[in-house]
Parts: sequence; C-alpha cells; structure tokens
Amino acid sequence: MPGLVLAGIKKTYGQVTAVDNIDLTFPKGKLTALLGPSGCGKTTLLRMIAGLEDPSRGTISLDGNDITEKPANRRKFGMVFQSFALFPHMSVAENVAYSLTIAGVDKATRRARAEELLDLVKMAGFEDRRIGQLSGGQRQRVAIARALAQKPDVFLLDEPMSALDAQLREAMQVELRLLQQKLDITTIVVTHDQREAMTMADQIVVMSNGRYEQIGSPSEIYHRPASAFVASFIGKANFLKGKAKDGGVDVSGFLFRPEPAASFLNGSAVQIACRPENVSLSSADEIGPNRLAGTVTFLRDIGPTREVYVETPVGTVICEMPASTETVFSQGETVSAEFPPHALRLFPDTDDVAGAQSRSDTGEGGGSIASNKQDVAA
Amino acid sequence: MSYPAAASDIQVGRADGKSASAFIKGLGLSNIVMGVITAVILFVFVAPFLLVLVVSFGEKIEGASWVWGFDFSNYIRVFVGVDWPNSVTLLYTLKLYYTLAYAVLGSLIAVGFAFPFTYFMTQGSRRSQAMWLVFVLASLSMSEVFVVMGWDILLSNRSGLPALLKAVGVTDWLKETGWLTVLRDWDLASPRNVKFKTSQLATVLTMAYLVWPYAVILLFAPLSRIDRSMIEAARTMGAGSVTVLRTIVFPAVRLPVFGSLLLLFVYLLGTYVTVTYFAEPAHQTLPVSIYESIRGATLNAPFGAAQAVILLITAGIFIGFSLLLARLAERKA
Repeated sequence: MPGLVLAGIKKTYGQVTAVDNIDLTFPKGKLTALLGPSGCGKTTLLRMIAGLEDPSRGTISLDGNDITEKPANRRKFGMVFQSFALFPHMSVAENVAYSLTIAGVDKATRRARAEELLDLVKMAGFEDRRIGQLSGGQRQRVAIARALAQKPDVFLLDEPMSALDAQLREAMQVELRLLQQKLDITTIVVTHDQREAMTMADQIVVMSNGRYEQIGSPSEIYHRPASAFVASFIGKANFLKGKAKDGGVDVSGFLFRPEPAASFLNGSAVQIACRPENVSLSSADEIGPNRLAGTVTFLRDIGPTREVYVETPVGTVICEMPASTETVFSQGETVSAEFPPHALRLFPDTDDVAGAQSRSDTGEGGGSIASNKQDVAA
Repeated sequence: MSYPAAASDIQVGRADGKSASAFIKGLGLSNIVMGVITAVILFVFVAPFLLVLVVSFGEKIEGASWVWGFDFSNYIRVFVGVDWPNSVTLLYTLKLYYTLAYAVLGSLIAVGFAFPFTYFMTQGSRRSQAMWLVFVLASLSMSEVFVVMGWDILLSNRSGLPALLKAVGVTDWLKETGWLTVLRDWDLASPRNVKFKTSQLATVLTMAYLVWPYAVILLFAPLSRIDRSMIEAARTMGAGSVTVLRTIVFPAVRLPVFGSLLLLFVYLLGTYVTVTYFAEPAHQTLPVSIYESIRGATLNAPFGAAQAVILLITAGIFIGFSLLLARLAERKA
C-alpha cells in the first residue's frame, strides 16, 4: 500500500512511555494533522518519522520499504521546525539551497531552484536578504521553501504556525494547504490547534497520552467524535452525566433519547455530548424528552454567533446560535433547552474529557460538564 | 563690641569644616573606593611595563650591571644583530619567528582538537558532559612543569613512544619502506629510530596539550547554546555529522572560536619550560632568550627588556591584524 506506514511504533524514555503502540497510515499526497494537547506524543511521533528519534519498538515504512533504521540525512524528508531553524549565517537563497549545496549541485542550478521555490512561497526578490532582516511570516515561508528544495518524499511540519500572530496564522494555514495541494506531497503537520488542523488536513489523528483516540476527516472528527476526549478537544461540547436506561440516558431524572438508541447496559455510567450549536432554546412552557428547563445566566456575542449560558438542574448548558437570530433572550429569563436526538453522542463515563472547565454535580448519578475549550488560535 | 565678630569667625570655621566633609560626601564613598582601586591597578599593571620600556633603552656595562640611557641599540640588535651595520645577524628575529610560529600552531592544534571534541561532548547526556568537564578542569590543575615532565617521559627515546614503536616493529617497517629517511629529513628520526626529543613537533604538541583544556572550556558554553533544531534541520536536508559540523556548527560559533584562538595564542607566547625542554637551542623562542638576558648567562637587562617590548608589540600587531581581518570577514558575511 503506498504512503507512509507506522506499525506498532512505541517510544519510551526510561519508565515514561511517550508513544504507545501506534499503527497509522499516512496516505500518499494527503495532508494529515497530528492533533493533541501538549505532551500527548505527537512531536515525538513526528521526530521518529523524520529519523531524529529511534523508535523503541515497531517499524516505519515508505511505499513498502522499511526505513526504520535509515538515518535522518538519508530519508529525504523535508521538515519545518517550530522555531523554523533557519541558518543565520546564510542568506535566504543559501538557506533554501542548502540541501542542494551539500548534495554537490552546481551553483547556477541551486540559484535557479532557490528562486523557483521562493517564488512559490511568494518570497521572490528576497534571495539575498539575511535571515535577521525577515519577519516571522517571511521566515516561515523560507523554512517551507528550504524543506521543499530537495523534493522530499514526505513533508513534515512541527507546529509551524505557533510563532506567528493570529491573523498571519489564519492566512498561512490557507496558503500552506493550497501549496500542499499544488505539490501533491504527503504531508504531516503536528499541531495542538484544532482550528489549524481542521483548516488544513485531509485526515486528522487526535492523540492523547501517547495513543491516538480517533482518525478521520475533519468533519467526522467534529460531528462524530469517537470518545469524550475527542468531543471535548475538538470544538466545544455540553456534557451530561447519567445512567443508561432502556436505550436512553437518565440524567438526574431527565430522560434523553439519542438516535440511534444507546446500546449501553441499563444502569451503566454514561455521558452525553452535544455541541452548543445543536442545542436550541425556546420558551419555558415547552416540555418533553431531551429537554431541560433553566435560567439564562450569561450571554455573549462572538462576532457571527451568540452564546447563551443556561443554568439547569443538571448544571450549566451552553447554547450557540447565529447572531442574526431574531429571538432575543435576556439574563434571568426562564427557557427550555432542547437537545436533538441525532446530535447526542454517548460515551462511557470515564472522566476522559480534555479542557473541562466547569462542573456541577446535581445529585446522585447526574451532572454536566460544559467543556468550553477555546480555539487556541482565537 | 567684639562678640558678634568672634561669633562670626567661629561660624566661618564651622562652615569650612562642613564644606570639606560635604566635598567628600559629594564624591561618594563608592567613587573614592573605585578611584583607589583604579590607582592600584594602574600602578601594578602599568608601572612594571613602563619600567621595562625605560630599561630597554638603557646600556649594559660589561662586567657590571647597566645604566639608564636612551638609545635604540638594543632594539637594533634584536632585528639585525649586535655588529650591524658591519654584518647582519637574524638570530633574535628567528627567535621571534619561532615564538609566533609555535604559538600560532599550538593554539590552532588545541582549538582544532577541542572544537569537535567539545561539540560531541555537548551532544552527550548531562552526566557524561559533567564527567568530561571534571576531567578537563582536573587537567587544568597540572602545572606546565608537571605536563612537560609527563611528555618528556612519553617522548623520550629510551622509555617512551620511540621505544614502543621499536618494540612493536614499526621502526623496522619505517626503515624498510624508506620512511625513516623522510622522518630524518623532518628532524623526527635518528639513524636508528624515530625521535621526538628534541623536535619542533614535540614542542608544538606539548604547547597544544597545555592549552587544550582552556580551549574546551572556552568553547563549551557557545557550543552548548547552539540551537539543536538547526543541526536537526541540516540532518533532515541530507547533511552527515561532519557536514553539519563544517557548515552549521562552525559558522555559528566562529567568533568564539576566533576569540579562543587569540587568547590561547597570547598565552602560548610566554611558554618557557616546554620550549627549553623540547626545542633545540637554534629553534628556541624569545621568552627563553629574555630570561637568559635578565637572569641567565648573558645578564643584559636592557637587551632582555628590548626583546620583551618587541614581543609585546608584535603580539599586539598580530592581534590587531587578526581582529581587523575578523571584522572584514563579518562585514563581508
């Protein structure tokens, strides 16, 4: 099978396991984002792919060839580092052409290739500048051009946007994605920024504690999270804790019925995740399953959307609606929050939630977590 | 009445007393302490140099000491010999040449070995780095006399390296292949065996060994601070260890390397014991000659002082020229 394949990759440092038994395939010509919180092992995994770290166990193969033992300088993988790692004693063109220089390519060809790549990253005319004369965004473009100079088989980027300001980061995410599509090169991006991953990737690998939690397209990851961790790490989610009951979930006496019905044994601890944009608010007199009555405690407009915080008997629930919505709620107003059956995701209650910020238990077996993990890029 | 006048006098006296203490207070205690320290430093460092400079213009009295004077005969003697203009002798110019040559080569060899060693040392674990640093610092505690004694045994013809080479058959192989003749041309062999004593090679190697720990310590900090991601970036672009060292690490620390070279060069200019042990008299240096003039056989303090001043000025010119070249190179880069 073409592409980069990791089989049973494990990396330990003494007693600490940084990457634990990873099996992954990076499809040829696609951009894969390794997404996860700090310390989840994503950078270690990238460094093993680059040949900068040796796996403690497992194999790495490219297009069917085992490259596990191949040193970094013989893998022909281009890599962009978090700090860009440009050589300050060289000009922009010399940086870009470094791989060609040490390969013994003649000066004219090197210069032509450097100019071609700098043109590709919109840095034409900067060939003779010193690195110290460039801005953060320009440095990143030079680092990308330099990594592409040797026509790498795999293009690796370790948190490439982290040194850029928010506005530039947004623009560069789009540019990098367009560039990757233009070159049709197998690309792996390490990031802790879910917005960055969703913007650029064909495939996202969500990692936690040295393992991957889910692999899928950005849409799959967002709309059908495989675990409570993924649901909380990617975007925002309301979490409601309860007990499984006849295909539904009993949350402190309130019954929630998902579609399709839950397959948990009756009485087992379950948590429900529901995206804030799927929760709808209506007047308090509407009652029924999948509904919670509560009081509006906080409102905020965030550009195109409006968030309404509702204090319910099972904790705080966040509802997100378009800012253009005509219905206006006010603080202190009593409302009914509806959770559509198709938007409910059920997970075993293991407390495995990333970025949980508020929690209110409301009695035996019930409660909610409003996971408000903000987009890091915002 | 005289009373007001007397009172006025007393007031004036008090005012004078106040102004003196106010003056001292105005100067500030820290400024006074700093002034005293500066004066002591100037005296300790500048006075001996000025005395040597003045003595260098003095005149040696045969059978006695020397007298103050002001002529350049001692300086002329260093460059063209005592019999100039009747004849020209380059004896002391050659000594100056050997002084500079040994110092340049010694510092280059020391830094040349210390640079890769220190680089690979910084790539190791913290524990191994600490162990190496302890070893290097421990070797600094050895005096020049101790080091020379060790190298004297190592290079001695009967019990050192030449004896070992002979015992393992290398000497016979050198004879058979004709290399011993080549080594004899280089003054590194006798008709019977290789020899390192006396030789310029042994002199330079011992001098390099003397300052090698200093080179490691001087290079350790800049090499430790190198951004590792630059090295890794170079590796992902196809560079092997040596290429990384040559194209990334060395350019990144070229200024500390250059500074280390200059510092060790200046240090080696004054090497005495090593040269007297390992260099034959014709290849000895100006510091040996200076010592002989001042305390040794010739007892000619003005001539010794003139040699010292010339050595100092030459070193200054050397360093100044090197700094100029470095600045030009930086500007070009």
